[in-house]
Amino acid sequence: MLIRILKNSFLKRPKPVLLVLLSITMGAAVATAFLGIAGEVSHKMALELRSYGANILLEPTALEGGGFLREDDLPKIKTVFWKYNITGFTPYLFGVADLNAAGRRERSVVTGTWFSKELQVPGEESTEQGIKGMAPWWDLKGRWPEAADEAILGAALARRLKLDQGSEVAATVRGTVQRLKVCGVVTTGGFEEEQLFAPLVTVQQLLGQQGKVSRVLVSALTVPMDDFGRKDPSTMTKDEYEKWYCTAYVTSVAKNVEEVMSGSRAKPIWQIASAEGALLTKLNAVMLLLTLLALGASATAVSTSLMASMAERSPEIALMKAMGADRFQVSAIFLGEVLIISVVGGFVGYLIGNQLAALISHTVFNSSIASPLWLIPMAIGSAFLVACAGSIAPLRRALLIEPVRVLKG
Amino acid sequence: MTALKLVPHLVAFFGMATVALRGATRRGMLAGAALAGFLGGAGLAATLTGSVPGEFTYSLLRALLALPFLLLCAVSFAALYLSVGGKLPLARLERVAGWPLTRTLGLLVASAGAGAVAGTRLGGALPLWGWGALAAAAACLALAALLLESRLPATLTTSRAGFIALTVALLLFSASWSTRLDLFAPLTMKVMKFTHDFVHQFFESMLIPDHLFIHSYLWGYIGLLFGKEVGFWGGLVIWFTPVVMVLLAIRLERLPSVGHLRQGAQRRRMLAEAIRARRLRLVLPGIAVLLLAYAVYRSLYPSVEYWDPKPVPVTANAGGEIFLPRKGEIDLMDGKLHKFLYQQGGKTARFFVLLAPSGKLTVDLDACAICKPDGYGQAEGTVLCYYCKTLIPLETVGKPGGCNPVPVEFTEKDDGIHLNGVTLINTWSGTVQSTTRTMEKGK
Amino acid sequence: MSQTTIKTSGLTRSYGDICALKPIDLSVPEGEWLSVMGHSGSGKSTLMNLVGGLDRPSAGSLHVGGQDLSSLSEDGLARFRREYVGIIFQQHHLVPYLSALENVMLSQYFHSVPDEAEARHALERVGLGHRLQNRPGELSGGEQQRVCIARAIINSPKLLLGDEPTGNLDHKSTLMVMELLKELRAEERFTVVMVTHNEEVAAWGDRTIYLADGVLVREERTRP
Repeated sequence: MLIRILKNSFLKRPKPVLLVLLSITMGAAVATAFLGIAGEVSHKMALELRSYGANILLEPTALEGGGFLREDDLPKIKTVFWKYNITGFTPYLFGVADLNAAGRRERSVVTGTWFSKELQVPGEESTEQGIKGMAPWWDLKGRWPEAADEAILGAALARRLKLDQGSEVAATVRGTVQRLKVCGVVTTGGFEEEQLFAPLVTVQQLLGQQGKVSRVLVSALTVPMDDFGRKDPSTMTKDEYEKWYCTAYVTSVAKNVEEVMSGSRAKPIWQIASAEGALLTKLNAVMLLLTLLALGASATAVSTSLMASMAERSPEIALMKAMGADRFQVSAIFLGEVLIISVVGGFVGYLIGNQLAALISHTVFNSSIASPLWLIPMAIGSAFLVACAGSIAPLRRALLIEPVRVLKG
Repeated sequence: MTALKLVPHLVAFFGMATVALRGATRRGMLAGAALAGFLGGAGLAATLTGSVPGEFTYSLLRALLALPFLLLCAVSFAALYLSVGGKLPLARLERVAGWPLTRTLGLLVASAGAGAVAGTRLGGALPLWGWGALAAAAACLALAALLLESRLPATLTTSRAGFIALTVALLLFSASWSTRLDLFAPLTMKVMKFTHDFVHQFFESMLIPDHLFIHSYLWGYIGLLFGKEVGFWGGLVIWFTPVVMVLLAIRLERLPSVGHLRQGAQRRRMLAEAIRARRLRLVLPGIAVLLLAYAVYRSLYPSVEYWDPKPVPVTANAGGEIFLPRKGEIDLMDGKLHKFLYQQGGKTARFFVLLAPSGKLTVDLDACAICKPDGYGQAEGTVLCYYCKTLIPLETVGKPGGCNPVPVEFTEKDDGIHLNGVTLINTWSGTVQSTTRTMEKGK
Repeated sequence: MSQTTIKTSGLTRSYGDICALKPIDLSVPEGEWLSVMGHSGSGKSTLMNLVGGLDRPSAGSLHVGGQDLSSLSEDGLARFRREYVGIIFQQHHLVPYLSALENVMLSQYFHSVPDEAEARHALERVGLGHRLQNRPGELSGGEQQRVCIARAIINSPKLLLGDEPTGNLDHKSTLMVMELLKELRAEERFTVVMVTHNEEVAAWGDRTIYLADGVLVREERTRP
């Protein structure tokens, strides 16, 4: 009988039912879309942020004196406590040289670095280190240098020298001349476009700084800084220090690296390090808040439309009560209605939300995502929750209807 | 901590007592039987785990726990058969089942089961006051069950099969809190193995001679039978079938005949009351379904209890060499962490032997180079440093560095592992000293 | 006719300052057909609502079928209504989206369980066997009122209340409805309390009471 009542009620009054269905569907769709992309967004954002490169900078302690770091120390970075968290590092050696090519002369910074060097560390698996892995956003025309006499040019410098890949350039420093084959031109959007990049060994020879490095950029996976992480290690108790050392804060990883590079000072590159953690937490919080707001809004909409339909149906409810329906029976009819609407609304909402998530993901991150299946019960559950929350007030009102007053006359 | 571990088992015991008291006459005797069963079971199981090492107690208990489930299967089948109008020569059995003594014995056995599950989790040496506290708690719960049962509405009852279903569900729920007594996981394994063997044998004997007729897509479907899912879904079906049959049996119970009533309203009122009562009888088996579902959940996602055996003391021979046989009392090759304790000259070193996924044994200190030597526990695919809660993949155990356990030099021979006692002690002392120094430095 | 169905003493109902029903003492024996007459605002509907368990008295005692209505809870009153009372309204008050048959079954549903055969039989008894599946909007006033009667008697009430059941009907339909009620009462032996302002309709009862401004002013026995 209940089913019969509900069926007829749906068929004969499609408008209010559709209105409620619409609000519930919207709520479920927005919830699905937000939750669906929330996880994806964190992941994508982490990757995007990661692509902004290193988050720890290693410099010689005595900068003014033209101090240097030792190249021999570099492999040790892969042996430190947090070695599994260090995804890559690149050494740099800077110098100024006169560049000569087909009659044009330019004074420019020459950078010696690793492009994609296979690093052998005893007891560890060999890894590839260098700019190629650390700066994936570099837009390189041509290929990465492989031989010692190959180099790549920053785009601005290449334009001034009127060079392109395949041409040759001669670099002169205090009488030492090194001929380099240009095998690529790089656009980075930064100061690197003014530089020439050559293998580290070549530049060391050119500058006469064998085995020396001016700075190292390290890229590490770190945990977001919290209040504990910001504490000064020197004021910690021994238990705290231990815990700090054992947590992959950017500071503790930096300290860790600093310990193995003799004469070095490690500085976290704060903008990125803290942005990464903080941004992701904030992003998730915003997503959650938006979802809750959407659900709240749709609950309000449900409540309003149910209120309206309740006013319209009050004679019917009064009649049911006059016929002897108790509160449970009256509630069963209305909650049954709401339950059916919310299951349908939840499912439809899931389908719509799925498309919405795909659309957002496509426009914002230019990639497709697949919503996980657990979102279906999620969507239906949240739809039901919204429907229940929205029907509390109308139901209370229905239960307070006095048959005598409504049926009078 | 131990007390917290016992909560689910005490809850199960409480539920059983309450269920058995429903509509019973000799209530005091029943409550007493429940209490005696629980404590007896707990005592027996605790003694057994303490005195017989290894898996024996657990396999025994698992087998014993499977019996009530089989009983439930039989009962539910009979109940369903009877309720769809079948006839079974069960008159004598019905009579026996109706005796108060049968109910008392049933409760005694069931609560002994719950007690035994609790007993295995107590560990060997529980002080006397611990037993006292346990007995007091159980007695309080038995009294509470008496009290609660008398408050419940008389209409909240169910069929006999329903009572049995709920009791068995409580038992399985209780067992699911212990990963080593959980029945669902072995059930899925059995189902998987059975399907695997059956399909294998069947196709081997029947189809291989002309298997050319089988299209490749058909092989795809046959291949599904070898998947992990077969075990899970098959296990799920077997797990829930008895209770669902009990529910169905109640749902299909005949309504009272109302033909003799002339007035329609009276007839309908009687029917409505019968339907209401029938619905209420579904509540208790419904709870059983929830309990079983929770047991499955616990089996799939056990609360992380790390495998952390007690260190076994070892001694060195005259040459200062410690020898651990590959397959002695302890099977080093089973992929689990095995902890040992070595004492020499007032110094103690804790170390463990583990078969790495690469197939090589490693020997490491039960401490890392950084943290306080709180030791390691083993979880799925990882070991965990208790101090800093870092998970270390099994693949990297045996490599130095980070929070990895400090490796110890050893030689592996055909018969087992040989390592030098002095080196071991020195490595331990050095490591522990340096970690202490790190801590001091931070001050 | 030894049992009393309705017994009131000092029954009062006031809405705020307005006293709709002055203290009234009334006793209706089982099986009686009582007509209640009076102008609008005389308190006759208030009396009927109180007796039917739709409203609560402000003061005085009210016993219907041996139950003290003022002591019942909200759900207790609902139970009383569905098991003891059948009500026929002037405005019919049928659920618009349900068919005639379903409207009768709705009453069965609230009482216990729906029984379609029984509901159909009840509608056949009031002469609507051919309009089972029609919705209220497709029925004439007289037909709607007969659905209402079928719904009111389906649960075999001990007390049938009529609130101007013929107020919206023409003379022919009125006669038909009253005739039907008389027949049903002869079969089912329920007590009838019928509010009306039509002398002719009131004459169908065993006894008529006259209310004016909430006071019982006159009582008249139409049948011995």
